[in-house]
Amino acid sequence: MLMCRDLAVIASDYIDGELPVFQKMSVKMHLIMCKDCRTFIGNLRASTELMKTHSSGRADEELIRRIDERVAEALKEGPRDSTNRGP
Amino acid sequence: MAHSALNEEQALVEGLKAGDEQSYKEAVRIHTPGMIAVARFYLDHSSAEEVVQDCWVTVIDAIHKFEARSGLATWLHRIVANRCKNRLRSTKREVSTDFSEALEPELGERFNARGRWELPPKLQFHDAGDTLMENGALSGCLDKHLSALPEAQRSALMLYEAHQHKSDDVCNILDVSASNLRVLLHRARQKIFLMVETFQETGEC
Ligand SMILES: [Zn+2]
Repeated sequence: MLMCRDLAVIASDYIDGELPVFQKMSVKMHLIMCKDCRTFIGNLRASTELMKTHSSGRADEELIRRIDERVAEALKEGPRDSTNRGP
Repeated sequence: MAHSALNEEQALVEGLKAGDEQSYKEAVRIHTPGMIAVARFYLDHSSAEEVVQDCWVTVIDAIHKFEARSGLATWLHRIVANRCKNRLRSTKREVSTDFSEALEPELGERFNARGRWELPPKLQFHDAGDTLMENGALSGCLDKHLSALPEAQRSALMLYEAHQHKSDDVCNILDVSASNLRVLLHRARQKIFLMVETFQETGEC
């Protein structure tokens, strides 16, 4: 039988719908009987949603400025000869 | 991708192909964080920034070969990943990551010998990420914990959750197997879960 610890191991796969049907069914059965695991899955799902809504990492302004400068320079140079183009 | 977002991206790509500086500025702002996430999977901080800068310059020529089959983000991330891999090959450095344990030790300790919860989660998190994120302190705490994640976990999480790439794309870009990607994601989510839990219980980060 699936124990709480086993469920915690495969919890992300369950949330993402990546479990084989049989395993998915045993998780569902377990969740019907176990309030703690229902809370856990709910909280792990909320944490996952939190990541989705949280900004995908803010860019470092200094880095952005440096890139803008290099791109502007390269654009001024115009299209480069394909023979000396980098990889 | 939603229809309007797709149109926006098409317009942006047209701008890039035309060599429009303003379009580059916009694209750099949108896509640099994700590109850094990819590069940091492979390289240290300063090398990662170097590679991403170089990539943007190569994009000026390469954009003409871009076909909308894959999204712009996926295409850019692949360019970054290839550059990083080339660089690693020349310095012979290996990316080493532990994929053996699926449970965070801190969570694993909360089960008894029979595999039942010894210390179950007490509080229920609010349902929507939006409600949680209205809390500025939590947002700051999340930033802190995200930057403390091992690089491999953070890159996987960023590409999969924040950029919503498909698993196949993430595996391809990061050069990990599907099962190892699952471990990276699960470990990272557990850390975020533990962080939010502590935050809700104690109000401290
Ligand atoms: Zn349980």
